[in-house]
Amino acid sequence: MAEQYGFFVDTSRCIKCWACVVACKQWHEIEAGTVSRRNVQETVTGTFPEVKRHFESLSCMHCENPLCLANCPQGAISKRDEDGVVVVDEELCIGCKTCSSACPFDVPQYVEIEGGGFKMDKCDTCLSIGREDDQPHCVLTCPVQALHFGPLSEMEAAAAEKGGARMEGETTPSVFVS
Amino acid sequence: MTQLTRRSLLAGAAALGAAAMLGGCAPQTLENDEQLSETGENAAEPVIEVKHTWCKMCGPARTHCSTLCTIKDGRWAHVEGNPEAGNNFGRGSKTLCAKGNAAMHTVYSPNRLLYPMKRVGEKGEGKFEQITWDEAINEIAAKLKEQKEQYGAESYGVLSPQFYAVLGTLGRRFLNVHGSPNYLHSAICNSQRMFSRLVTLGGPNHMGATNTEPQQLDKCKLLVVWGYNSENSAINQGNPNKRLDSQEGGMKVIDIRPMQEGLGSHADYWLPIIPGTDGALALAILNVIIGEDLYDHDFVENWCLGFDELAEHVKQFPPSWAAPITGIPEDRIVEVARVMGTTKPMGINIGNGIGDQSADSHWTVACVCLIEAITGNLGIAGGGGAGMVMPEPLIKTKPIDVLTDRLEASEEDIANGWMPGVAKLVGPETPRWFQTMETQESGPTTAYNKGIQSILTEKPYPLRCIFAQSSNPMSATRQPKTVAEALKKLDYYVVMDVAWNSSCDYADIVLPATTQYESADQFATKNSPAGTFIGINQVISEPMGECHSDWQYYLDLAVAMGYGDDFWNGDIDAMLSEQLDGSGISLDELREKGYIFVERTDGAKPTEPEYQNYEKMFASLPQGKVQCVNEWIGGKPNADDTGTIERLPVYKGAPESLTGTPDIAAEYPLVISDVHAYRLCNHSYYHDVPYLRELQPEPWVKINPATAQEYGIEDGDWMLIESPHGSIKMVARYFEAIQPSVLMTKRGWWEPCEELGLPGYDGLDGGSEVNVLYDDNMANYDGFTSSMAKQTLVKISKIEG
Repeated sequence: MAEQYGFFVDTSRCIKCWACVVACKQWHEIEAGTVSRRNVQETVTGTFPEVKRHFESLSCMHCENPLCLANCPQGAISKRDEDGVVVVDEELCIGCKTCSSACPFDVPQYVEIEGGGFKMDKCDTCLSIGREDDQPHCVLTCPVQALHFGPLSEMEAAAAEKGGARMEGETTPSVFVS
Repeated sequence: MTQLTRRSLLAGAAALGAAAMLGGCAPQTLENDEQLSETGENAAEPVIEVKHTWCKMCGPARTHCSTLCTIKDGRWAHVEGNPEAGNNFGRGSKTLCAKGNAAMHTVYSPNRLLYPMKRVGEKGEGKFEQITWDEAINEIAAKLKEQKEQYGAESYGVLSPQFYAVLGTLGRRFLNVHGSPNYLHSAICNSQRMFSRLVTLGGPNHMGATNTEPQQLDKCKLLVVWGYNSENSAINQGNPNKRLDSQEGGMKVIDIRPMQEGLGSHADYWLPIIPGTDGALALAILNVIIGEDLYDHDFVENWCLGFDELAEHVKQFPPSWAAPITGIPEDRIVEVARVMGTTKPMGINIGNGIGDQSADSHWTVACVCLIEAITGNLGIAGGGGAGMVMPEPLIKTKPIDVLTDRLEASEEDIANGWMPGVAKLVGPETPRWFQTMETQESGPTTAYNKGIQSILTEKPYPLRCIFAQSSNPMSATRQPKTVAEALKKLDYYVVMDVAWNSSCDYADIVLPATTQYESADQFATKNSPAGTFIGINQVISEPMGECHSDWQYYLDLAVAMGYGDDFWNGDIDAMLSEQLDGSGISLDELREKGYIFVERTDGAKPTEPEYQNYEKMFASLPQGKVQCVNEWIGGKPNADDTGTIERLPVYKGAPESLTGTPDIAAEYPLVISDVHAYRLCNHSYYHDVPYLRELQPEPWVKINPATAQEYGIEDGDWMLIESPHGSIKMVARYFEAIQPSVLMTKRGWWEPCEELGLPGYDGLDGGSEVNVLYDDNMANYDGFTSSMAKQTLVKISKIEG
């Protein structure tokens, strides 16, 4: 595989404005009230008045060893040779939700399809709709430049400057967090 | 003729919305279509167009963020920031906020108003019949002429929703030509802070009032964020991003707000103040800075008027006095005051939260201004003001002349030496004697709320017609119960909006407005070191139903009134061409291209401003000095002429507060307030936008979990919230980063979101509009700027079942 691509989530800048969440939906024409491919997680530490809020914008981690892929009975999930992005073949997906229980980050969601049944739905780094400037729309829209996407070595370097590190997990997520 | 109730009207609108949707495809189908077309199984490629508009999600007729809109098979599908325009962090920035990303829905909302309507039922009943635009315009014109004849032109007033370019230009021009000064300005506005800064720190005029905010943020060492909320109100307008950049460069931040907000979570010091008590904190900080000799002696000796008197005065307000009022411990106040007194350059962002939403906003802002001044921070790089001077714009357009000289002076104006029109203001926002073209934004102003209350009090006379354009008085000001009563009594109420709002039920005429995505009647420029950008709204979608643009409405009404000669005889293109005259750009060219960027090739760069030119900065002030004792307004009549304004800062507090009214606090033990701006809505609007509403489906109130548990309230429970003035129902949302004695909520919520099956909520008692809880006794308003407290005391209980 050529170099793995991934995200750098700069929590020193995220302000939980939800721009990334909504940008993802409008560009992928996701119906409101259904799935949300990207979400801003909030962690609160301490109690008032010694309290601190932290925000992280997360979507699919495009793991190096994706358990969704390993467990998919249909072979519908693959990891691209070019950039390691994990993608789903809608034609092959039968919506069995095995991937949901396999994924340690609870990423796969399911949309109901016409005529019944489900299809798995998750971030594809905007490959299906065409990227601009080689960037997904969540990154392009971030008003405070807290979200970055690119070759993982670049993400690692950017994260290191902010004292960040790679997200931990047996699947080796392709996400750095400061 | 068909009679329409609100319900059937909305059903009709929904039908049209559904029909309009047929132009595109359901989202999932579209994606499938794309995939099919890639594999050659479906040859029907969607027709894609990209057009330019200014985003309206921070307010109608706003021109902050230039956007590129992708139209797919005739339906507006996507939006992004225009990288050519220099939005947010400059050229190349494609960013937008959450609201901006959801803008498409405002065009296709099932709540859209689609045709002019006339009331046929009782006021408040919401029964209307459809009429034509000609009928509507002619009827409004006939009524205005009749009322002008019978009661005088001043009987007509217009509601100002927020900064609104339509009203600030054509609306004001119409008032001036018609003969009314009654521009009902919200008094919840940056204008309030500009009034206070102007009379304390000087400046040539309203817009040029001396600033405390650092306009070279990259050189600032300490930023004090005081009731200032840019991560909610102006996310994509540069400040949040620039603030984070400066913090990475070592700038420290003190954030003074009741909740730890998005940017507040990155601050070095967070002061969770009890809402409405900022004036007490500011006085205590002055006490420490002066008492511990942390001020700039050279500045104070040369440029302050009455400093010694102020120093003596603030001895009454030590941190030990402010601590129980503000909820901030005494040692914390001392600590922060010392940081402010010893870190330079320091700039202060004075926000709506303290500047225009409490009973003593003026003196709060004045104290904060004095902190910035006496620490020697005015006019220095990284301190207050002192922005770099931008090279001249390369495209020069003309503003719309509001024809100020057309408003005639009354005998009383002449006798008092007042600006023409001031004597006839129904409820002056600032004192009549204070209002001049230099102190005001665009002419005389009445306070929005006072104008509405005149209908009930008939003092000094009742307004007879109110025109509400893009403003819902049932949520935009204090106490909707009073507003509803006034609107029922009002002779003639005209609403123009893009979608139904909860004040429409009281209207005589309801007019459907285009969004700014359906008309091409506004352009704006952005000047930067790289060059000058000009962009016009292009028609992204043909107007829904019979919607007309807000700009065109004024021209059409003016023609019907016989004012056509002053309104381009109704020709909007003539109006726009006049503004472009001499710019080198024609209206046709601009409409065709959408936007034009002229690159700077002359090598001009931003230049350093004049630093510390205090003689010029304070020239408009009595004795040319900072007003530690205010000789401009002190001892003079207040806005209502019911008393005089103080000379020195005072702390009044909210009409009901924990320490100010202990008797009331015994029954109502918690403080409530609401956020002025929120990042998922524009003031009280946009709860119908599915992408935004799904993030927060129910009317929320943030509550410290410890407090909620005392009342047996779980996260997500409905709560009854009762104040001495009213009661509402809201959903409790646990929030650790708030004082246990404080609740914070958000106004609005009248809009249903049909797509998600979520209701709109009533705006009176028993509904979910927080303004129901607040006092609206005008005697409690700020005597100088008419700002109204949005804090009160409440008791809470869980709603069972």
